[in-house]
Amino acid sequence: MTALLALRDVSVAFDTPRGSLQAVRSVDLDVPAGESVGVVGESGSGKTVLCRGAMGLLTTSNAHRTGSVVFDGHDLSVAPRDVVREQFGTGMSMIFQDPMTALNPVRRIGAQVSEALRVRLGMGKADAMARSAELLRLVRIPDPTEMLRKFPYQLSGGMRQRVMIAMAIACRPKLLFADEPTTALDVTVQAQILELLRDLRRELGMSMVLITHDLGVVAGNTDRVAVMYAGEVVEQAPTRALFARMRMPYTEALLNSIPKVDQPSGQKLQVIEGRLPDPVNRPSGCGFADRCPYVQPKCRAEHPPLAADPDGHLYRCWYPLGGAR
Amino acid sequence: MLARADTFTRVAAGWLAFIAALAIVGPVLPLPDFAEADFEAMGVGVFSPGHLLGTDSNGYDLLANVIAGSRLSLLIAVVSVGIGGALGAAIGIASAYRRGRADYVVNTAFNIVLAIPNLVLGLALVAVLATTADPSIPVAPARRVVVLIVSLTIVIVPILGRIARGATLSWTSREFVVAAKTMGMKDLDIIRRHIVPNVLPAIYAVGVLAVGVVIVAEGALSLLGVGITEGTSWGAMISRVRGEIEYTPHAMIVPVVALALTVIACNQVGDYLRSRLDLRESRL
Amino acid sequence: MAGGGTAHMRGGADAVLEARNVVVEFKAGGGRKVHAVSNVSFDVLRGETLAIVGESGCGKTTLGKAVLQVPPPTSGEVVFEGRDLTRLGTDELREARTAIQMIFQDPISSLDPRMTVKQLVEEPLWIWQRGDEAARAARVNALLENVGLDPALVLDRRSYEFSGGQCQRISIARSLALEPRMLICDEPVSALDVSIQAQILNLLQDMKDRFGLTMIFISHDLAVVKAVSNRIMVMYLGKVCEVGTPDAIYARPAHHYTSALINSVPVPDPTRARATIPLQGEPPSPLAPPSGCRFRTRCPAATELCTQQEPQLREVGPGQFVACHHPRG
Repeated sequence: MTALLALRDVSVAFDTPRGSLQAVRSVDLDVPAGESVGVVGESGSGKTVLCRGAMGLLTTSNAHRTGSVVFDGHDLSVAPRDVVREQFGTGMSMIFQDPMTALNPVRRIGAQVSEALRVRLGMGKADAMARSAELLRLVRIPDPTEMLRKFPYQLSGGMRQRVMIAMAIACRPKLLFADEPTTALDVTVQAQILELLRDLRRELGMSMVLITHDLGVVAGNTDRVAVMYAGEVVEQAPTRALFARMRMPYTEALLNSIPKVDQPSGQKLQVIEGRLPDPVNRPSGCGFADRCPYVQPKCRAEHPPLAADPDGHLYRCWYPLGGAR
Repeated sequence: MLARADTFTRVAAGWLAFIAALAIVGPVLPLPDFAEADFEAMGVGVFSPGHLLGTDSNGYDLLANVIAGSRLSLLIAVVSVGIGGALGAAIGIASAYRRGRADYVVNTAFNIVLAIPNLVLGLALVAVLATTADPSIPVAPARRVVVLIVSLTIVIVPILGRIARGATLSWTSREFVVAAKTMGMKDLDIIRRHIVPNVLPAIYAVGVLAVGVVIVAEGALSLLGVGITEGTSWGAMISRVRGEIEYTPHAMIVPVVALALTVIACNQVGDYLRSRLDLRESRL
Repeated sequence: MAGGGTAHMRGGADAVLEARNVVVEFKAGGGRKVHAVSNVSFDVLRGETLAIVGESGCGKTTLGKAVLQVPPPTSGEVVFEGRDLTRLGTDELREARTAIQMIFQDPISSLDPRMTVKQLVEEPLWIWQRGDEAARAARVNALLENVGLDPALVLDRRSYEFSGGQCQRISIARSLALEPRMLICDEPVSALDVSIQAQILNLLQDMKDRFGLTMIFISHDLAVVKAVSNRIMVMYLGKVCEVGTPDAIYARPAHHYTSALINSVPVPDPTRARATIPLQGEPPSPLAPPSGCRFRTRCPAATELCTQQEPQLREVGPGQFVACHHPRG
């Protein structure tokens, strides 16, 4: 079954005064129709650049994307810009971390939500407003008709995020990119928004790429997970399999360094020492070598390629956890 | 500081330096006296012998006058912006740091003064300050200059004061100011060490732009007859040769070009400084 | 849910800080007031880490700043080592503040971008003229080494050249310069990456142990708070819901809000799926908080009593206090 979105050998590099900055290196990723794929990584892992690159949003002259991006059968990497733009909203859509900056502060909510409907679907003003109210109801905003007349500054963070979701699903996209959608929200609101996204996906049959640094968020909201480190995918598997049988030392270290609600109190947290490798001068060998508790000489010398377990679990390590390559 | 400037900006900065240098060394240059008319060469064009830029219809050498005029024009501009900027910045920073009612009063005062067009305000102030009890006694030239400087300073105060206030409001909301308070720092020290160094660059940039504005304002006031009437400034030059534009157009063109180039240069350098600051801001 | 009540205060000579009936209100124009903190009392014993937990708008940051009197509370008293900070004159307060220092949420914005690291860390010493230049320089080096930074590499650089985690280390070094006895940490790791959070939390714990500090740790992240605190105070909309030890609160939360908060934290284990979300709706506006118990509009156990009467804190278990008419369990 062909995936809805297939990234093959995608790399993104930026020109900087110091040299070429390799933000994303040779990433393969599939998003099957109707599934939710999590992309987990910390800042500097390349997860945001990957998704913006896939959507074709990196338009500055210093950004260079290579590799193929095939969405719904169309190869977007060679398509002209207006064809790619056709896909925005109706094919692929995106929601962002900070809803305040994603909403125009001087326009009313109704105007912003209906804009997508009018521009993309050619709806008339009255129809678009009515549909906007329905969309706001769909994202569980109380009193939608009242909300249409409000300005963003009158809304709380959770409400703004719901409005942004309403705008993103207005044209029923097949795929939703969610870039850290709940990072800036309180934990109880985060739970509500994640549940909303789960329900919307089911109702609209929408796929989702969920970008986050929080392993807790991916655990409950994704079917597959890709872990990124220093611009590369270092582990990829169905979510349950990833947590049950971790192969990458990095993923294990990440999991261990997160404080958890059910761990005994007063214990010191496990730390990942060191820092990310320099993205301009990447070292040969594994990027995690200097920080890995299981490091061997081979790790520093040779860059590990992506290997696969018989069940499809991908990992990038010479000495993976749980046994030999 | 000019390391990353493009060519245009470098040329502009060079022009400003050149004009300033000419203004300073003017008297020692081997040029005809600006106040001495050369009766044998009245109204001659540029590149005439003995008169590099020609003379006006009364025989005054244009190059000498431009250089002499630059002294007064630049003096007025730099002093007004310097004092007005310092005063405006002090008021703006203090009121924004304190906030509350005082800030409200200061802001309203700034807005009221800013609402009056620069030229009208300058005109009114000069008219008030430069009149003497007996209208038949002409005002001394030195007093005229002082009055001009004072009036333009008052115009500048709210312009730069507002910039300073805005910048201070934004910087005081950063946590390092709260941190300084929790360390036990006195308010005056906080302003001196933390607020002023961060606000000053914005003031410089707008200050350079303001110099250009004041040069033009002085020119306009002189053209209206209330600026410099004796001695020479660029505005006075332009005013004097107004009537002869049909016969000796170059006599008008020369000072106008000098003024325009200087103002353009101020704008360019001021703009460059401002964009450099924004770059630094966005890095934070 | 209430703020009122001081049943949970322990008193005694060991209390380094005692805050009583603290109220912080801000004017919001049109005669309205933001009730940021409404009648909150708490105490912190020597060597303890008190965590103040709640979501945005609960007043925890305002409360932390009110302790340091920046700005001072609208009413109430804050007694630190026997002195009421709300009654001190300007100079006395400035001096008293040297014993309580604060770490802020945004590591980059809490450092003046124009100053070098040396100037930043030295500043507190300079303000209070502690030692001559050579002595201060030596102390700056020692402070930087304490927090794991190499002085030779950082002294002459500016804050924007460093990562969030390193900036936070610089902040911590600076806050320890005056040898404070108490440290208030306002969301110190919220803006940092997950793997860096652990480093900074461990560092704070180290500093606390080494210098015998008492800490107030403000956070919205329950998991983080569990790792570092001895006592937890949960706040909602300007009032205290529950106070107790981490183990008790996490195992047997007595307040419905605390329980919802704990159950909202995403657990990194796919086998533990959550059936329903713990809490619906949004918090009411602090301009017009609900009567009686402020949590009643979202509480599954709310009754008529909750509308009329504000619950006071009372003991429901050893060292566990809750402000609720119908506590869980």
